[in-house]
Amino acid sequence: MLTNPLTKNVIDQNIATDIERYLGNGGYQGWRKALTMRPEEIINQVKEGGLRGRGGAGFNTGLKWSFVPRGENAPRQKFIVCNADEMEPGTFKDRLLMERDPHLLLEGMAIAAYAIGASIGYIFIRGEYHLAAERLENAVEEAKAQGLLGSNILDSKFTLEIFIHRSAGNYICGEETALLNALEGRRAIPRAKPPFPQVSGLWGKPTVVNNVETFCNVPHLVELGVDWYRELGRGQDAGSKLFGVSGKVKKPGTWELPMGTPIREIIETYAGGMQDGLELTGFLPGGGSTDFLGPEHLDLPMDYDVIGKAGSRMGTGTIIVLDNETCPIGLVLNLSQFFARESCGWCTPCRDGLPWIVKILQRIEEGAGLPEDLDLLREQCQHIGPGKTFCALAPGAAEPLQSALKLYEQDFIEHIEKRCCPYAELQSGKQS
Amino acid sequence: MPTITIDGEKYQVDGEQNLLSTCLSLGLNVPYFCWHPEMGSVGACRQCAMIEYKDNEDHYGRLVMSCMTPVREGGIYSLENEVAEEFRGGIIEDLMTNHPHDCPVCEEGGECHLQDMTEMSGHTMRRYRGKKRTHRNQHLGPFINHEMNRCITCYRCVRFYNDYAGGNDLQALGRNHQVYFGRQKEGRLENSFSGNLVEVCPTGVFTDKTFSAHFVRKWDLQSAPSICEHCAVGCNTAPGAREPGNGHEPTLRRVTNLYHHDINSYFLCDRGRFGYEYINSPTRIMKVLSARHEEVISSTADSDDRLHREVSPKDAVLHLAEQITARQRGEKKLIGIGSPRASLENNFALRKLVGPANFYSGLNRRDQELLELVNTIQCDERIQSPTTPDIENADAIVILGEDIYNTAPRISLAVRQAARNRQKQQAQSLKIPLWQDSSVRQLEGDSSPIIFVGTELSALNDIVSTALFEPPEKVAGFARNLALAISDPERPPTGLEPKLQEPLESIVEILRNARNPLIISGTSSKNADTLRGAALLATTLSEFRKVPTMLYLTCDEVNSLGIIQLFDSEKGHLEQLLEALEENQSSNTSTSLIILENDLYRRLDKKSLEQLYTHTEEVFLLDTLLSPTAKRADWIFPTSATAESQGTFVNNYGLAQRFYAVYEGGGFIQEGWRWLVDAVNFCTDKYENLADISEWEHSTDLSDAVAREFRTLKVLDSLGPDENFRIDGLKIARQTARYSGRTAIHAETHVSEDPPIQDPDAPMSFSMEGIHNPNKTLLQANIWSPGWNSNQSIFKFQEEVGGERKGGPSGIRIERPKHSIPEWEISSTASPELPGNPDQLQMLPVYRLFGSEELSNQAMGISEVIEAPFVLVNQADAAASDIRQGEMVELETGCGVYRAEARINSTTTPGTIGVPFGLPDFETLSPLLPGFALLRPAAAPLITEG
Repeated sequence: MLTNPLTKNVIDQNIATDIERYLGNGGYQGWRKALTMRPEEIINQVKEGGLRGRGGAGFNTGLKWSFVPRGENAPRQKFIVCNADEMEPGTFKDRLLMERDPHLLLEGMAIAAYAIGASIGYIFIRGEYHLAAERLENAVEEAKAQGLLGSNILDSKFTLEIFIHRSAGNYICGEETALLNALEGRRAIPRAKPPFPQVSGLWGKPTVVNNVETFCNVPHLVELGVDWYRELGRGQDAGSKLFGVSGKVKKPGTWELPMGTPIREIIETYAGGMQDGLELTGFLPGGGSTDFLGPEHLDLPMDYDVIGKAGSRMGTGTIIVLDNETCPIGLVLNLSQFFARESCGWCTPCRDGLPWIVKILQRIEEGAGLPEDLDLLREQCQHIGPGKTFCALAPGAAEPLQSALKLYEQDFIEHIEKRCCPYAELQSGKQS
Repeated sequence: MPTITIDGEKYQVDGEQNLLSTCLSLGLNVPYFCWHPEMGSVGACRQCAMIEYKDNEDHYGRLVMSCMTPVREGGIYSLENEVAEEFRGGIIEDLMTNHPHDCPVCEEGGECHLQDMTEMSGHTMRRYRGKKRTHRNQHLGPFINHEMNRCITCYRCVRFYNDYAGGNDLQALGRNHQVYFGRQKEGRLENSFSGNLVEVCPTGVFTDKTFSAHFVRKWDLQSAPSICEHCAVGCNTAPGAREPGNGHEPTLRRVTNLYHHDINSYFLCDRGRFGYEYINSPTRIMKVLSARHEEVISSTADSDDRLHREVSPKDAVLHLAEQITARQRGEKKLIGIGSPRASLENNFALRKLVGPANFYSGLNRRDQELLELVNTIQCDERIQSPTTPDIENADAIVILGEDIYNTAPRISLAVRQAARNRQKQQAQSLKIPLWQDSSVRQLEGDSSPIIFVGTELSALNDIVSTALFEPPEKVAGFARNLALAISDPERPPTGLEPKLQEPLESIVEILRNARNPLIISGTSSKNADTLRGAALLATTLSEFRKVPTMLYLTCDEVNSLGIIQLFDSEKGHLEQLLEALEENQSSNTSTSLIILENDLYRRLDKKSLEQLYTHTEEVFLLDTLLSPTAKRADWIFPTSATAESQGTFVNNYGLAQRFYAVYEGGGFIQEGWRWLVDAVNFCTDKYENLADISEWEHSTDLSDAVAREFRTLKVLDSLGPDENFRIDGLKIARQTARYSGRTAIHAETHVSEDPPIQDPDAPMSFSMEGIHNPNKTLLQANIWSPGWNSNQSIFKFQEEVGGERKGGPSGIRIERPKHSIPEWEISSTASPELPGNPDQLQMLPVYRLFGSEELSNQAMGISEVIEAPFVLVNQADAAASDIRQGEMVELETGCGVYRAEARINSTTTPGTIGVPFGLPDFETLSPLLPGFALLRPAAAPLITEG
């Protein structure tokens, strides 16, 4: 049984899988099969397969597609958009997929486009991912030459043009409606919902936006079926996923593993465990905008709902590990600086609250913090929580901070009482 | 109407509104920034947070932004809930982290929405210890100051400027807490509604630069309701004035919007807002002047110009009285020339003095004919003259020959909103409420069909679906063909150029299918057939649709439609005066002219005027500014400007509106009619009319007299309360309750308080004493409510947010007898009268918001941005005459040669040139438009020695 559908074409050499090798390994079979199916069948299959959005929110992908208006009264022009603006701190999974196997993404997008009736697709790719963009552009040309993209694909009368759009750079473009605004040449700020993009998206037309990895799950799910796909997962969730680990582990990296793989296995088996002499004191399970979990959570399986119940989010599935010699405040400060900088500036709590948080954390880290700063930080976390801001950026920014305030409260107090960062002493002690 | 509960109280509310405006309409104080009553909700600032409960069992509720929350039947909400209060406190604290502590030197201080909301949200202690972010400011032209450090990033400025007003040179730039609202490069804000930024900005980022030049706090301004005199739309304004002390005269300090539901709602154009400076300009007449008995030895002025010296008002009045007496004795003839920019009261007074037979409109024949046409057309029962909200509801608009952005700017802003009606329909079908501004705007949808046919179209290009550039006679023919095709689509059009066939068919289709079509036309193209064509089109549509059709006709000046009511058809224009004077030549009675607030050089060509002057003995002028006509006058009486006087104007759609004196003015100014009364009072024999005139004491005496004498103007006796009106025994205070320095202002001479000047015309005091509450009277123009010191407080004085003023609407439509327009012959092939010389080109008037209106041209800020004279030339004509872009050209007309810069384009019809109407140095060309001229490259300027 195929167990690594996402990375089966990824080899040690840093080259993109070209069309010959892709086709040779059974590529575009899902696409060929899809063209023989009715769009509703595909949507149902993806829905029943239990594919959940890999960008972080974990929404059922087939369900998302089913919201697109169909039938005679539906607008004729629809769009399929790939969110390849991978900018979540600690996350580098989409890059691997696009650089090494660009056709897998194109095939997934093509199937999705056929399912919703879109004739134009855009890959909105992070500007720094120039290698991936080049390889994707090349792959589009290859697929067109084979008649797999373009007009009248494989004599099906179906037409799909895919364009690569390089982002000017902004974390908020990962928010799908901000992405659509940016794609239209407007300011990258999130849109008010409703209307949802599935009804009125790019240039007011029905649009589905999915993450790179989500699209990459589609070809095999369509080709090999629901049962195969569900069996891939080890726990509650279906399919496989790219998991990653960064931090002071022996072998940081990214691997395709079944959904539901326990965290301890990912960190100890695949990332080789902590570097010698270091202890794990906590981790962010799914990128920079998720809550810290402690060592007691290491045996949890990586399933959306399990991680959710533990008080965090699976997010992008890329784990950031914190060790006993790294200052948790420094880590949160670093993340907060990122989120404050990347705030689009639309709503007040995010725009003006995050810079304030950064200033307080900076003060604490520099030894100038005051006891009342902790209350101020907790209050600020409240103000940028879910439902209080316009989009999910600031609530995401609050997650590492609010959990650090609980998990590492003693570290905060020590910083303030000792008027310095104890970890800095640790580092300088080591050096001397 | 849903019933909802807010903090335990039950209310019946309008279910179409969001929770925020519902609360405000109920009189509750909810703080907000980014929401605007006219621009809707976007959910950016998060200041208006409230709690929404699922049901009675729900004790925690959910924090919601009230501006983004639809009101639902049975909904339970809380404003006072602690969580919501704490959150709102946190938001204002966030906003204030970067706001400077410069309130004492900020022009917004004292009328600052941010100050109000900070107070309201309970933020009193500063906990932020970091540095504030700072920005560099930009020079944005003569009207608007820019102080970005004060910005709280509510996005209202760009939402108004770009989304609402169609501007494109003000952007939100950058991101995070560094978002910067400015231009890509420094320079004047180009959109003509930029002044509204001053009122839209909740704090002091955008402030009125003309006001800064003579700044006082809002509470130190005295105010009264006024009408903008810079076009005929009739926008309501609240000018503010203040005495500077140190023995200086009181001056007008600024103009702000005064909400009128049917006309300007929340917004004014920049000519209306900044044009007020003419009142303080160096060309203002403040003294009585005489040109008599001056022996001129040498002068560099035009040989015909008079040299004036100040004379005592009494001497001048006495001299006028002598003329009146001589007239009474039959020794002299007195001719009165009125004006479309003077109030009905002033015009009427002059008419009364000289007698109807000797009273002239001050309009030339063509302009008077056009206004009579407008008046006739508006009396047709099949025509509906629309208000601004009506215009905003139109789903198809045809604009015939009128460059409304420059001739009726506030109307063009309404048309811009109408363009979004298709988008709004789509929103409704998706069940998205219309107040969800950003949701509605992101929907696809072409703009509603807006068709323009005419000479020049400014600033509306982005919303116009079809623009056909044609000279006036073609416009009329096109309108006629549209009308014919609507009544009978099978009938072939007559005299239509083939290129217009296709647009004609599609426009006919659009109009036949429109639910609420609107035709816009006006007098500015100076073409009677255009008006007739517009009327024919509208009435044909009415027949087809079986309901009256909206037709908005713009007139040139503030009281155009008022003065025309004083004249019988084809009577009283200036050409008729010339003829009468010619006839009179044989008799030996000498004739003197009394000209009221009129610059005749804008009405008649110089030759005709010379003729006029040769037939007259003396010229008396009553006016506010030193115009070319003033230079030729023998006696000049200074009259009060709109903001200094009371009277009535009739706007484009026939609404009679009264304006009130904001302040007493300086020098020897007084209303024109008061000069006449003064002169009559010096006359020894007062019989007939003179007896009536000498009894006039109050402006309302004249209003009532006008109402008695003119059936159509009967409403003038009920426009407002008379001077004896009192509320609780009190007058309405022009000064605010906080007006400061009343005993200190003359401290350099004495510390006693001068008794306030008595107002004989209105039940208003020139002091702090009296009624301050705008809910008690529409005469209170100082919009202020406890806790709401900024103009945002207007909702406290509306029936509901965005609704009528309580006690309103002000103004009454004049009552004109209904009748049907006659069957006009409109030829579709009518060629213009032929030029005398085949090489001549037809000059067509084009208009500029800044430059085409007489009074505002003298405003200091506006004078900085008026373009130098130019002509629009088609590229073919330019090539034929060897004229290149930007080069100087000469226009040889029947009345001299004019120099201008050539602007070459492809839209000007070959054989015609666009000539700016009324532009400085081109004023005397105005009477010649449309007419003929030779165009040629300008000769190199002569270099003269020494």
